[in-house]
Amino acid sequence: MLSAFLLLPSFAATAVLAQAGTAGPSGEFTAAQRAYWAFQSVARPAEPVTKDSGWSRNPVDAFLLSALEAKGLGPAAPADRVELLRRAFFDLLGLPPSPDEAQEFLADGSAGAYERLVDRLLASPRYGERWGRHWLDLARFAESGGFETDDTRPNAWRYRDYVIESFNRDKPYDRFVKEQIAGDELWPESFDARLATAFNRHYPEEGNQKDLLLARQETLHEITGVVGSAFLGLTVGCAQCHDHKFDPITQKDYYRLQAFFANVNHVDRFPIVPDEELREYERQLAIWEERTAPIWAEMSDLLMPLRNFTPEQLLSRYPDYVIEAVKKPTRERSPMEAWMVSLLESKDCGTCPLRPKPYLDPLFRNVVKKLEGESKARFEELEGQLNELAHLKPAEIDRGMGIADINDRPPPTHVLGTGLYTNPGQVVQPGFLSILDPSPAAVSKPARGGTTGRRAALAKWLADESNPLTARVMVNRIWHHHFGRGIVATPSDFGMMGERPTHPQMLDWLASEFVDSGWSVKHMHRLVMTSSAYRQSAWPREAGESVTGEGEVANKTFRRGREVDPSNRLLWRFPPSRLEGEVIRDSALAVAGLMNGRVGGPGVFPPLPEGMPMPRGGWATTEAPEEHRRRSVYIFVRRNSPYPMLDAFDFPDTHESCARRNRTTTAPQALALLNGEEPAEWARAFAQRVLTEAGSDEGRQVETAYRLAYSRDPDPAERDTAHSFLDRHAGVFEDGEEGAEPAALPERFPPAVSSEHAAALVDFCLMLLNSNEFVYRF
Amino acid sequence: MVPDQSAEHSHALTSRRELLCRAGSGLGGLALAHLLAGSGVLPAAPRAGRRALDAKDPHHAPRAKAVIWLFMEGGPSHIDLFDPKPELEKLAGEVAPASFGLPVTSATGSHRMPLMPSNREWKQHGQSGLWVSDWYPHIAEHADALAVIRSCHSDGVNHVGAIRQMNTGSILAGRPSLGAWSAYGLGSANEELPAFVVLTDNMPVRGGPTNWSSGFLPATYQGTLFRREGPPILDLKPPKVVTDRQQRSRLDLLNSLNRHHADRWPSEDEIEARIETYELAYRMQQAAPRAIDLDEESDVTKSLYGMDEEETATFGRNCLLARRLVERGVRFVEAYCGSGIAWDAHSKLEANHTKWCKVSDKPIAGLIADLKARGMLDDTLVVWGGEFGRTPFIDTNSITGKIKEYGRDHNPWGFTIWMAGAGIAGGQVVGATDEIGFRAVDRPYHIHDIHATMLHMLGLDHMFLTYLHNGRAERPTVNGGKLIEEVLA
Repeated sequence: MLSAFLLLPSFAATAVLAQAGTAGPSGEFTAAQRAYWAFQSVARPAEPVTKDSGWSRNPVDAFLLSALEAKGLGPAAPADRVELLRRAFFDLLGLPPSPDEAQEFLADGSAGAYERLVDRLLASPRYGERWGRHWLDLARFAESGGFETDDTRPNAWRYRDYVIESFNRDKPYDRFVKEQIAGDELWPESFDARLATAFNRHYPEEGNQKDLLLARQETLHEITGVVGSAFLGLTVGCAQCHDHKFDPITQKDYYRLQAFFANVNHVDRFPIVPDEELREYERQLAIWEERTAPIWAEMSDLLMPLRNFTPEQLLSRYPDYVIEAVKKPTRERSPMEAWMVSLLESKDCGTCPLRPKPYLDPLFRNVVKKLEGESKARFEELEGQLNELAHLKPAEIDRGMGIADINDRPPPTHVLGTGLYTNPGQVVQPGFLSILDPSPAAVSKPARGGTTGRRAALAKWLADESNPLTARVMVNRIWHHHFGRGIVATPSDFGMMGERPTHPQMLDWLASEFVDSGWSVKHMHRLVMTSSAYRQSAWPREAGESVTGEGEVANKTFRRGREVDPSNRLLWRFPPSRLEGEVIRDSALAVAGLMNGRVGGPGVFPPLPEGMPMPRGGWATTEAPEEHRRRSVYIFVRRNSPYPMLDAFDFPDTHESCARRNRTTTAPQALALLNGEEPAEWARAFAQRVLTEAGSDEGRQVETAYRLAYSRDPDPAERDTAHSFLDRHAGVFEDGEEGAEPAALPERFPPAVSSEHAAALVDFCLMLLNSNEFVYRF
Repeated sequence: MVPDQSAEHSHALTSRRELLCRAGSGLGGLALAHLLAGSGVLPAAPRAGRRALDAKDPHHAPRAKAVIWLFMEGGPSHIDLFDPKPELEKLAGEVAPASFGLPVTSATGSHRMPLMPSNREWKQHGQSGLWVSDWYPHIAEHADALAVIRSCHSDGVNHVGAIRQMNTGSILAGRPSLGAWSAYGLGSANEELPAFVVLTDNMPVRGGPTNWSSGFLPATYQGTLFRREGPPILDLKPPKVVTDRQQRSRLDLLNSLNRHHADRWPSEDEIEARIETYELAYRMQQAAPRAIDLDEESDVTKSLYGMDEEETATFGRNCLLARRLVERGVRFVEAYCGSGIAWDAHSKLEANHTKWCKVSDKPIAGLIADLKARGMLDDTLVVWGGEFGRTPFIDTNSITGKIKEYGRDHNPWGFTIWMAGAGIAGGQVVGATDEIGFRAVDRPYHIHDIHATMLHMLGLDHMFLTYLHNGRAERPTVNGGKLIEEVLA
């Protein structure tokens, strides 16, 4: 059946699935659709009874074990302490344990040592940096707009910090959802809640799109699709042009959802300072603007004739409907016209057809060099006058980025034929998926005005305990990141084309536990990580059983697991996985003793590899070298030019929400870790750390390096390999090739250590960082 | 019944042989079984028992082993190169009547501007009598090899969207490029080189790597931008201080570390695969620099490509590189001419196109001649085009200047792409634009159709080449695409 399906072209596959009874006429759902598991309310199932009652530590185990037993399988032996320790560190912090941290845990033989470790890790600020990154993937977080100019969004990083902080504080997930959908409407006084709305601002944007209605529609499509997949785990976006082909989501449903966002626009620089400070800033700015206004006016007069395009010419490039909207008096504009003007007003660049304040216009001075003679002299004079008044200009205040409704009068939302604004059909009101709730949403305009209140209604519905999707989707995401595969293996697609849950009852139990815990994400980590299932080994470890030289599995349960369930869907072992690019880089920095643990703040720009073209939008390398060694989550995310080291290791394309990263193994990854300038720096620092801590004794050096990189001591064979390598490899440097440049050395090393040995140690350290044991989580 | 695709989604480490057979290869990538997570349809059954990174069987007998796409970035003016419009002379100076189906908006609002005739000399060439203007005298000599599709159209009014659509089928970023689809469908014919290479000659391509991205396909299939100086691939070479002997010794250590680690546990395919990538990387270090070493080429060859003249040297080198890469098994080469939208003649069309036609004419003619002489044209598809053409209206930006300074605006509504080689029926014109060259009217072909045709030449059926992503069996042509049958011989 499977192979037959694989041979079908996609349109035929579509037909096959349509026959499965998922697509019906708009608004009418079949009994099968209504009975689909993901739309049923979450009920808390009873724990199953299992034969092996000694293994289970918590209900998660009971669910997993009963499924294993049903297939005649059993769980793997417990992981050894090092395996478990590193797994917990990578999972929660994205970093390996330091030798001291490892020692602390390995030496603690008392009951509850592991539980205490989990608590310690959950309390670390590094935790939010790790789990915040997972959420940023979903939010398609980037700090630039993409498209041609890929313009920087200078306040985008505050959203990143908001996410990290939310995870660190274990913000209840229902609150986290509400803030991101409608923080501005629900908690207008909270800067955090308003920063959260940037979730829906991270869309790529063609700033040069003159067809503003098209631009608006593209953005609305983007937001609708991302909200649907991130919070509901449904491919809502598939219903943009027609009813969803597989799931009971009508095209009308799609536009009902979209209507919640009908009046939003981005707000890229709203003040986030206390009222008094803001009033004072505005007061001073007004004085400065007033005093400098005549100067700006005269400057503008001097420059205008030299400009390539006057604002009038720029406006003439827009479609007639935009020009009309701009020329109308404010009161006469329709809601849609008002929206278009708000978009034009938000453009602070030189392509804006409305005349922005010159000092906010980055292109204002572009033609200064064309000035000649008297005008030039006069312009310089005016600049001098500006400088004299500079002391009056208040220091810039902190600002944030997000979205907000432009007012309380939303333009109508139509069902659009093939998703095009030029094909409007019936008008719809905001509403939810009609299979769950067919009535229009109850929207109430906040008394304070200025916003429609629509998103607040959506936020409440999404974060309501009775929503069958929200909690299931989130616990499944948590599970996905712990085990490398969700209970539903397609974390953003709970629909027909997605996977069915491997353990539906467990998923429901977890969802209900999640809600009962007050939507505590940390509670879920604790629950999952303290289960026996999580503490299984990735390998066969039972006493008396081992692996033969051929790599064959002597262990019976293991062999049977591979036969019966080769993809390990039932978790008869812990699944190993390659670490993400961020974790590899951060771990290497930590092991080398280079990691700068500073938390938060604007994105940093580490140097780009030599010869790489300058990305459009710029890449001003951060001056301070210690800033280059911040954790990877703080590296500036330029949408069109991802940071090469992370890009090589499957950093997600920030043009869409990513629930599940690819995990490739490629030659460019090998090249990057082997030959890159950054790894070379890590290796030198790592070797220096080894030499500093171990001195000139080679045995101790190897031991120290192993403890740092792998949290364990080398075995005798590994010691042998290391010593013979160091010996042989030092020779490479002794009789260096003709004209070869001196080898890379640590900055300092003990006098008793030869430079050849130090250079060999650098390469030894580099290879440890390249090794499988280093880049995998077992 | 709903087919169970779960096996395709699993993160399982399946059997080594299966893994290696299914492994695709972009830049020598070992795609893992679970990377194909989401791959609804693998293009074809792998030949049993063969090693990783082997080429995969196409859907049908291919006409082309490889594609060389000559991308005139910025938008060459079709009505001044391949699509003469005598009617435009008559209407010159008038505003185009609305009956031509003028758009809501154009990049600079030029649809409200008067029409401008072509200033070129036009002649028919070859036995076929194909019209080519005097801007392309060398290419005109190969007129009988070209199938000139005059009725192309697309959706992107602005450069980035248009360039991206030309590459990925969508003006929005996030979809795989055609080169990535090809690598996904066919694998690599030479694992020591990337399956898909991008060459530039000027500034960075607008929209950057989104144009050769693997999108939702695994990164294995993404294009590799060759750098113009030094080692062509990022991190290809270790830092200068590292000698070859040292590198070999390092890799031997790494291998024993990894082997020792693997020996302690039952074999894991994914982990085994990672060990192999290091050996592959090492071989690539030797192979890639050799592929771009033009010292192996004779002066005669170099001058055929115009490498002995300053204006044509850079693009000529890229055309020659394209041939060398294809010769070595690279599937898809995209050579940008005027990268960074140099062809974007909003003003001074005359000067701009005189220059960039000169830059591209001899190298492209040289490439065709060289491929022909080596018997490679029979199985190499050569494609010429930009992201769009140019309007018959005078560009708003240039209206204040003198006639010589006039330019033309972006025209995605009708423009020309030609194909040659690999069994393309040359010496013919396909489709037509309206009397003023604004809109494709006779047998209009969308970018999706161009893509379907290019894939067809490679032996791939765009309807069968799918990848399950977010619940949809995605294909290169999104939800369109038809084969342009008349270009096939």
